[in-house]
Amino acid sequence: MIPTVVLSLVLALPAGAAAPSGCLDCHLALNDARLTPPAKASAEDVHAVAGFTCVFCHGGDASATDQEVAHDRRKGFRGRIAPRDIPEICGSCHADASRMKQFNPSLRVDQLAEYRTSVHGTRLAAGDTAVAQCASCHGAHGILPVKDSRSPVSPTRIALTCNRCHGDAALMGPRKRPSDVYAKYAMSVHFRERQKGDLSAPSCNSCHGNHGAVPPGVGSVANVCGTCHAVFADQFKLSPHWEAFQDMGLPGCVTCHENHEIVHPTEAFLAPGPSDRCGSCHEPGSAGAKAAAQIREDLVRLDTETRSARETVRRAAEAGMEVSRARFDLSRADDALIRARTNVHLFRASAVREASAAGISIARSARKAGLRALEERDYRRRGLLVSLGLIGLAIAALILKIRDIDRHRGIPS
Amino acid sequence: MSEEIGSLSDVSEPTRGILSWLRERLGWEALARVASKKHVPLHRWTLFYYLGGMALFLFTVQVATGILLLLYYRPSASEAFESVQYIMAEVPFGWLIRSIHSWGANLFVGVVLLHMISVFFLKAYRAPRELTWMSGALLLFLALGFGFSGYLLPWNELSFFATRVGTDVPAQIPIIGPLLSRVLRGGSDVTGATLSRFYGIHVAILPAVTTGLLLLHLLLVQKQGMSVPPPLEREPSKRTLRFFPDFLLRDMVGWMLAVGLLAALSALSPWELGKKADPFAPAPSGIRPEWYFLSMFQALKYLPAKIAGLPGEMLGVFFFGLVAFGILTLPLLDRGASRGRPSAWWNWLAVLLLAGALVLTILALLPVAAGPR
Amino acid sequence: METPSAALAGDASRRRWITRFLATTLGASILSFLYPVLKYLVPPVSSEPSLSEAELDVKASDILPNTGRIVPFAGKALLLLRSPSGELKALTATCTHLACTVQYRPERSDIWCACHNGIYDLNGANVSGPPPRPLTKLDVNVRGDRIVVRRV
Repeated sequence: MIPTVVLSLVLALPAGAAAPSGCLDCHLALNDARLTPPAKASAEDVHAVAGFTCVFCHGGDASATDQEVAHDRRKGFRGRIAPRDIPEICGSCHADASRMKQFNPSLRVDQLAEYRTSVHGTRLAAGDTAVAQCASCHGAHGILPVKDSRSPVSPTRIALTCNRCHGDAALMGPRKRPSDVYAKYAMSVHFRERQKGDLSAPSCNSCHGNHGAVPPGVGSVANVCGTCHAVFADQFKLSPHWEAFQDMGLPGCVTCHENHEIVHPTEAFLAPGPSDRCGSCHEPGSAGAKAAAQIREDLVRLDTETRSARETVRRAAEAGMEVSRARFDLSRADDALIRARTNVHLFRASAVREASAAGISIARSARKAGLRALEERDYRRRGLLVSLGLIGLAIAALILKIRDIDRHRGIPS
Repeated sequence: MSEEIGSLSDVSEPTRGILSWLRERLGWEALARVASKKHVPLHRWTLFYYLGGMALFLFTVQVATGILLLLYYRPSASEAFESVQYIMAEVPFGWLIRSIHSWGANLFVGVVLLHMISVFFLKAYRAPRELTWMSGALLLFLALGFGFSGYLLPWNELSFFATRVGTDVPAQIPIIGPLLSRVLRGGSDVTGATLSRFYGIHVAILPAVTTGLLLLHLLLVQKQGMSVPPPLEREPSKRTLRFFPDFLLRDMVGWMLAVGLLAALSALSPWELGKKADPFAPAPSGIRPEWYFLSMFQALKYLPAKIAGLPGEMLGVFFFGLVAFGILTLPLLDRGASRGRPSAWWNWLAVLLLAGALVLTILALLPVAAGPR
Repeated sequence: METPSAALAGDASRRRWITRFLATTLGASILSFLYPVLKYLVPPVSSEPSLSEAELDVKASDILPNTGRIVPFAGKALLLLRSPSGELKALTATCTHLACTVQYRPERSDIWCACHNGIYDLNGANVSGPPPRPLTKLDVNVRGDRIVVRRV
């Protein structure tokens, strides 16, 4: 009671002409560990900046300086909002198209509907309060636009935000979910590319969705991966593995490539050993195993030919020879290697053989171009020898002449 | 029977006929008489007398290959690199002409330096040959100018950044420094304007000035004859060698060896081109100028930012200027040599400077890790 | 023992031989220097530094509308295409995402990178997928049936 009176007196003094922000004035002055930070954060909040003050979500009377008046339940004050209610509260604006149009017409308004289909949404509706709702990822106060790199849901930080819960064994354990997903993702090529600045590489939301976050179903994995890896998905669907995997309930691409720990594939995937992918289904000696061995052989052969061509061209370039045609052929050989490796996903040895044979002939012509450049170098060296020989003869002739003249003059040489 | 110039005792009939036809019309008897009197002193240091002619020969090689390069080179920032690439890769023997020019430039500067050093220690700058020395010093500076201006012309990464560093140095000179740097660069930074300017300097201004000075230098040598080192001046028997044809034939042996060396270097180690200059890219590590500038380059690196309140680099440039002035006016400074006194102090000073320059050059060539930073 | 005059005559012929030898070797050396110089003076077939401009090996009439092909230019791959409306265009064929070689897609009249499904329009603008930057356009000039491509 007494603190309230004191505060009222203190706050009655300097009256600003700004919109009533009695909530902020009081909560900031309180210096309370729980009540002050939200007030501080709201200075940058995208909603506050647009003119939405605390009462828009929490209700109450913003102009009041008396706590009881400000927090009057009859004025709609709800205090701390329960997690279960948050989606509806955010959705009261963000799912209303005519409302959102007044502020940013290009913003979507289906987030709430999507959320309700998500694992988070369905679990929240079923009573699990420890799942993610709007405030968990976007924050409740101090919400920044997604484009702002400080926002927890900006492309550069989204994975870390997901990891706050999905990396917590105490949270994930009881829900029978793994908690090492981020660690696995951090080993992947996608993570590496993102670190290099390529934001087209996927993060959590790219494959799982933003608001309708659900792990892709076993049958949809290829479609999801196929949004970028279109050729592989098309080939996989034409391959014998497509129906076989569906019959066995195997998750498409993830079967061989993992879902989070997606590492750079190598020929070792096709060979017996620690990285072997084929051996788990195909018995040694079976048709499948033989096909895998042949595919691997063809790929390795093409790789070797391309390397040898590259080495020859490098030697010629180092000797100062003109190698632009050879370099072009090498780039075509690299393309052929990519195509041959891609064709693995048809899971037919003949498809890979076709592509690698074409690639080998290109690599060979690249190597020939390199050898021609080296021949030019040898031609120059032979020319050098010839001219050095002539110069040597000229020097010999000069010396003879000198000695002859000296002798004639009686000068001892 | 003597081997007189103009005696046609040992050439074939048709050649004799042509030569006498020409002699009747051009009449070179007077010239031949003068030439036959030209002698070269013969002593144990005669070998050094060949260096002057070698420098002249290498200069003509540079002029010839330079003129050939002019036929294909394009002096603009957008085409220079491509045109040199074209010369190296597509023009028949373009690689040879360009490599000879690049290797030859280094050989030329090296021989000029050796020539100057030998003339110094043989005291050939004594009276009456002071002007010969001074014109020679100026020719040395011109040769360095040729090297510096020519280095930029391929407009590749190394040369661009080396030029940027190199044109920063004159800016240290008080009062006129920034203006000088601006005049050199054709602007406030190294750009296509710099390339145009360096091109004009390299193919027109420097050749014109050099031709004049060279003529003076050679005329003086003809007029005053070859100097004999002090210890041998008192020797009674002064054995000499006739210049035509004896010395000249020996000269030609050296010239042939030089040509052979240039051909071998060009065929076995063609001059590199590297990447095209990108003014907005950061300077790659290990930028440095050609070897003849390395000692100054390295010395500047070692100087502290301030010495007694003055910028360190400025004092360094001042020191180089002092040395250059000393080289130029040496005969006037070391008048004792002209009077026959042994100039031991000057000799030791020269040895010190040369040793210092050598050590600095070696330090500059070591991998970057060893240098100061 | 030779007579003095015979010795002198032998001397003279030896001197002649040496002089002739000298003349021949010097002449041969000079010719061996002149040979590369003379060959140097004759310009190669393509008169432009080929890093900036080159005539392509392909004939203009060989490129049909709504087709494209990869041709070499300055050691790199170039996509030469003719739009459905008949316009000849040249673009760098290296995808700006991860440097795969792009291809022309006749069924959609666009440019496609198979590696990660990147799509460019016929002006080279990156319209869909990972590519962060457009492809570089080059200047195309047709002289008769010859195609000359030049960096802008």
